[in-house]
Amino acid sequence: MANPLTLMLPIIPGTSVATLSGVLEQYVPQLYAGLESVGTVHYARAIFLDTSKANLLPTGIFSNGPFVIAIITEYDGDFDTYIEDFVSAIGDVFNAVLPYVVGGAALVPVANNVSAFQAFLAQNDASQQPPNNVALAESYTATVQQILAALPGSAATSTASPVPNA
Amino acid sequence: MPDPAIDYGDVQGTILRGYRVDLARHFILTITAAPPARAFIGALVDGAGGLPRITTAARWTVKPKCFVNVAFTAAGLATLGVTSQQLATFDAGFQRGATSSTTANMVGDVGTSAPANWIGGLANGAQVHAILSLWVDDDPAVLESVTAKLRAAFAGAFSELSAHDAHALPDNKVHFDYRDSIAQPTVMGAPPRKAKHNAPDDQPQVPTGEFLLGYTNATPGVYSVQPSQLSTNSSYAAFRILEQDVAGFEAFLVQYAAQAGIDAETLAAKVCGRWRNGNPLELVPSGPAPVLPNDQLNDFTYVDTTNVADDDTLGIKCPIGSHIRRNNPRNQAIIGTNSTHHRIVRRAMPYGPRYDAKQPDNAKRGLIGYFINASITNQFEFLTSQWNQLATFVKSAPGPDPSCAGNAVFNISGQDVFLGVNDPASSSLTVAGCGANGAGNKAVTGFSRLVTTRGGAYVFLPSITGLRYLAALGTTPTG
Repeated sequence: MANPLTLMLPIIPGTSVATLSGVLEQYVPQLYAGLESVGTVHYARAIFLDTSKANLLPTGIFSNGPFVIAIITEYDGDFDTYIEDFVSAIGDVFNAVLPYVVGGAALVPVANNVSAFQAFLAQNDASQQPPNNVALAESYTATVQQILAALPGSAATSTASPVPNA
Repeated sequence: MPDPAIDYGDVQGTILRGYRVDLARHFILTITAAPPARAFIGALVDGAGGLPRITTAARWTVKPKCFVNVAFTAAGLATLGVTSQQLATFDAGFQRGATSSTTANMVGDVGTSAPANWIGGLANGAQVHAILSLWVDDDPAVLESVTAKLRAAFAGAFSELSAHDAHALPDNKVHFDYRDSIAQPTVMGAPPRKAKHNAPDDQPQVPTGEFLLGYTNATPGVYSVQPSQLSTNSSYAAFRILEQDVAGFEAFLVQYAAQAGIDAETLAAKVCGRWRNGNPLELVPSGPAPVLPNDQLNDFTYVDTTNVADDDTLGIKCPIGSHIRRNNPRNQAIIGTNSTHHRIVRRAMPYGPRYDAKQPDNAKRGLIGYFINASITNQFEFLTSQWNQLATFVKSAPGPDPSCAGNAVFNISGQDVFLGVNDPASSSLTVAGCGANGAGNKAVTGFSRLVTTRGGAYVFLPSITGLRYLAALGTTPTG
C-alpha cells in the first residue's frame, strides 16, 4: 500500500521567480534521481505555485508570488523510518532549497538536523493535515520493487548495492 | 573518508572493544538519591574508593581482571539532572524508551514479548534508570568480589531492581548451538582487533559516527546532543534479554525440514545463513564441512554480477530471509541506501544452563546484552522493524546467471525466524530455487516464535567526559 506526501514549502516572500527557477532547474533532476534510488517512490513531481493567484497557477516570468514549491509523491512503506536514507539520497537538494523556504535555513545541513527536518516535513505535508489525511485511492497494492520485478526487462535493474568497495 | 582520531580513553570500552570474557553481570538500577548517585558515577570514573574504574577503549598492556561500563535511560538522565530541553535533543527512540507501546509494536515486542511481561523490574520503564555492567574473564570469585564492592558503593544511591548473569558457552556457541561472535562492523578509527580474533568482512568500513556521537556518520551527517559534554564519544544501546526456546527450535528443525525437502541441519543453516559451526552458506553451501579459518568466516558478499559462480543475488545458497542476511544484507540491493547505514555492534552473551537434549528441561536460557549504535532510531529500530519484520525491503534484482531465472523480490517471505514475531498464520521462510516469479521456491510456513523478549531498555552510554559531567551536576552551573 502506497502513502502520499504532499510537501508544501512556503518560499520567503520577495524571492524572485528567476531565482527559484534557477534552483529548481539545477536540483530537480537530482531530486528525482535521489527519490528513484531509494526505491520506494512510485511517482514524484515538484511544482511551483503562486499564492497571489486564486488558482495558484504561476504565470511564468510574470509571476509575483509569494510562491510555494510543492513536492508530491506516492511512496511505499514508512517515510519516517527511511528518513535518514532519504536525507542521504536527497539531502543536498534540500540544503540548496531550504534557505529560500520560510523557517528552512535553520535546518541546513539537514543531515545534522534529521529530527528537526523530519518534524518540518510532517508540519508541511498537506497529506497529514485534516481534512486531507484520508486514505489514498489506489489501483493496485504492489510495491515499486514488486512492479519492477514483474516488468519485462527487469534484468536491467541494478543488482548490487551502491556500496563503495563492496 | 580518512579514519578520525578517537580519544579511546574518553570512550566506554564496550562500544569499540569486545572484551572476550566468559562471565558478565548486568545490574538494573533505580536512582533513589541523585547526589550520591552522581558521587558513585564520579567514583567509578576515577576508580576511587576501591571501585573498579570505568573501562575505556584505551589499549591495555595487561588484560584487566574486570571490565565495568554504565549506561542510563532517559528517565535516569532526567533524575540525574539533565533537563527536558536537553533530553529533547537525544535520539527519538531513546526518548520514547523500550517500554513504550510505540516502540514495542515497532520492534515486535508484542504478545508474550510485550514489556508488561518483562522480568527484573524492566516492565516499568520509568523506574529503570541505569544499567551497570560487569564483565570478568572466567573467575566467579572475581565476579562476586567486584559485585560486593559495587553493591556496597551504590547502596543508598541506587536500588537494585535485578541482576542478570551471562556466561560464555564453549566455542562461542549460543543456546541454539550456533557459533556466535563472528561478524561485527569494522568501525573507522576503532582499535584494531587482535589477529586471532579478526574475522574481516568484505564490506566497507562503517563511519565512526554510526557508533559514536560527534563524528561523521554514513548519511553523512553528525549525531549530537546537548549539552556538548554529553555528546562526542557517547553512544546508545538497546539492552535486550532474549529467551531462546531451544527445545522448540530443535523440534522446529525436525518438523519443518520435511516441508522444505531438506534435512534438519540444512534447515538450521538456511534459517541462520551459517551452519552451526559458523561456516557461512555463501562460502560453504552444501554441507557444514570443517570450520573455515577465522579470516575466511566473514569474508563474503551476496552479489557478484561479474562472476556467476560467486553470485547469490537470488538467495539460492543463502536465503535472502536468513538471519544473517536480513540483519546485514551486505551488498544486496535494498530499498533506502545500503547496509552501511544500518549496522549495529552486538555485545551479548548467553545466559542460563546449556540445553541437553538427552535431559530436556524448562530452564530459562537465552542471550543478554547490548546492541550498540549512535542512532537507536536509524539502526536498532530500523533493523528490527524493517529487515527483521518485513519481506519488502529487497530491491528488484535478477541474478546474472541466465540459466537461473528469478528475482530477489520473490525470494524472501515472512520475518526473521529468530527475531520476528512469527505468528503461525503468516510465518514463512523462503528456500529459493531457480524459477520465474518464485516458481522454483519452497517455503517453510506455519511456525511459531522461537525467541521471546524477556526484558529491554534503551540506554545512553556517556563518554568519560559525559560521566564526569553527570557526576558534577548539581554542584556546578549546567551548560
